[in-house]
Amino acid sequence: MISTRGRLLVALLASAAIVVPLGWASYSSVMPGTYSVMDMGYLDYGGGPGADPGATTHAGHDGPDTTSVADLVTDPERSADVRVDLEAKRETFSLASGRSVSGYTLNGRSPGPTITAVEGQLVEVRLSNASVPEGITLHWHGVDVPNAEDGVAGVTQDAVGIGDEHVYRFIADVPGTYWYHSHQVSHEQVREGLLGPLMILPQTDDEMADQLALVHIYEGIRTVNGRDGDVSVPARPGSRVRVRVINTDNGPMSVWTGAVPYRLVAVDGRDLNEPSTVVDESVVVTAGGRADLEVEIPEDGSAVRVQLGSSSALLLGGKRADVPKAPQPETSLDLLSYGSPAALGFDPDLADRRFEYSIGRRPGFVGGRPGLWWSINGHLFPDVPMFVVREGDVVRMRIENHSGDVHPMHLHGHHAVVLSRNGVPSTGSPWWVDSLDVADGESYDIAFVADNPGIWMDHCHNLPHAAQGLVAHLMYEGVTEPYRVGRDTQNQPE
Amino acid sequence: MRSAYRVLAYIIAIEVVVQAAAIAYALAGLSKWVSDGGTLDKAAMESEDTTFTGVVGFIVHGINGQMLIPLLAVILLIISFFAKIPGGAKWAGLILLLVVIQVLLGLFSSGIPQLAILHGANALALFAAAVYAGRRVGAHSQVPAEPQNA
Repeated sequence: MISTRGRLLVALLASAAIVVPLGWASYSSVMPGTYSVMDMGYLDYGGGPGADPGATTHAGHDGPDTTSVADLVTDPERSADVRVDLEAKRETFSLASGRSVSGYTLNGRSPGPTITAVEGQLVEVRLSNASVPEGITLHWHGVDVPNAEDGVAGVTQDAVGIGDEHVYRFIADVPGTYWYHSHQVSHEQVREGLLGPLMILPQTDDEMADQLALVHIYEGIRTVNGRDGDVSVPARPGSRVRVRVINTDNGPMSVWTGAVPYRLVAVDGRDLNEPSTVVDESVVVTAGGRADLEVEIPEDGSAVRVQLGSSSALLLGGKRADVPKAPQPETSLDLLSYGSPAALGFDPDLADRRFEYSIGRRPGFVGGRPGLWWSINGHLFPDVPMFVVREGDVVRMRIENHSGDVHPMHLHGHHAVVLSRNGVPSTGSPWWVDSLDVADGESYDIAFVADNPGIWMDHCHNLPHAAQGLVAHLMYEGVTEPYRVGRDTQNQPE
Repeated sequence: MRSAYRVLAYIIAIEVVVQAAAIAYALAGLSKWVSDGGTLDKAAMESEDTTFTGVVGFIVHGINGQMLIPLLAVILLIISFFAKIPGGAKWAGLILLLVVIQVLLGLFSSGIPQLAILHGANALALFAAAVYAGRRVGAHSQVPAEPQNA
């Protein structure tokens, strides 16, 4: 009997040695029903000064020197120059091509209306929710708005429920190509159409025609401005056209023009310095990123075919049948050495903080579920770094990726400049980004000035990856977080 | 417990067959879809909306491989502690190890495609180990049950 009992005991203990740690790991990875993103993970000061010893650093701290996220708004005294009303609905709708899809609309269509502003104008958008059950927000992707206008549910506002509305106000400060999209249950709402283009034009007319090319996949069909297949737009022979490509999907997209030369004049809403003419190379547009290509329409009346991924294209001028699809060039333009250097406006070598954002993948539990999850600096969500900065800091960040997949990293509220890739320094135009593709095995050194106080997401814009925990935040000292996320709140930003 | 061990080992072996069938189906479907004019790039791959005959094969392969088979392997190991099969825990542990290696090879092959070669080979090793583990128990003459209580 003893030996049988002994055997059983050993078997039970061995089983417990497997089941208990797994069960505990699963249980302890379940998030509380309500929490502040400031309570996630651990504080990372990047070698800079820590918080004041007198103040507690996490959410809930109040003090004379603190500012709430909710108060970081655009000057309320100033009146708006551009006013837009957007009403969101969950419905089945027709794309511009007539194809019927089910998803979300803004003012009855998707992509939503183009918002156009001139540099310096104040844009005021009144967002109302007619019928989206989970609630909605709008994030101004690439516009470095004040924190309270950033549109992240549970971080900078509460999701807008059915029958409610929210007003966003921001100054269109830097000319360029941007877009807007929901940042509530974003991995579903963006995919299903809660998005639209935003264009900020310079005050001086550069005599170039503007052509938006917002690319989005609806139910497996890639579309340009809501139309699938080849999209023809008129253009005057001999004229120059600025094609503003917006990649709203979750993976990188190549853009090429066949034999027609082009110049890449801007990336992520920032003009490149002295861009040269490019022939037979593609431009890779990061998920969430934008690229502005300048092309000249041939005098002979033939069209320019701007291929947007392999399955859709924009045909500028001429006749549709004129231009066959050109094969994708074998090489893509390397922005590390494109254009000419120019002053950055700050010295990255005098960094106050140096952060590491190393993306890996390892087994574990997130939200109670086992799996192979994205890790940040070796930790799984929610045990991720909270990058702490002080206003005015020069910040360097090294983003490394050894996770087996490409990650389009998107820092809210700031543009960062690429200093080097895999240790090779940038020798071209200053390459400012808000969305940066970091391929597996790559590392990027980027730098930015902490000039926009608040609490900002710093996440993967392959939005399902963000929902799987590839999310960290950048936090300014002295900023408090009044909003909450979690299953017991209405806010699910990812 | 002995029969549970045997059945579970065979189920794991069958799961390996399902995996091979699912991925072959998916790749054939993808190939036909591309031949018929469908186009695939990273953005399309990342879109949950991309559909074609055989796409279910990718889904099955992913869920089976990353969730179900690891779970079955863990359960097999736990059962082996109670099943009084000489060497049973050793073989269950080996199966779990092969499963872990298989999952890692599968995941990291998207970054290093050469790993997929090992992924394919390791699948056969896992299949063989699972079949052998099951057969050892089935063959009573070779692996006698533990003598009853002394």
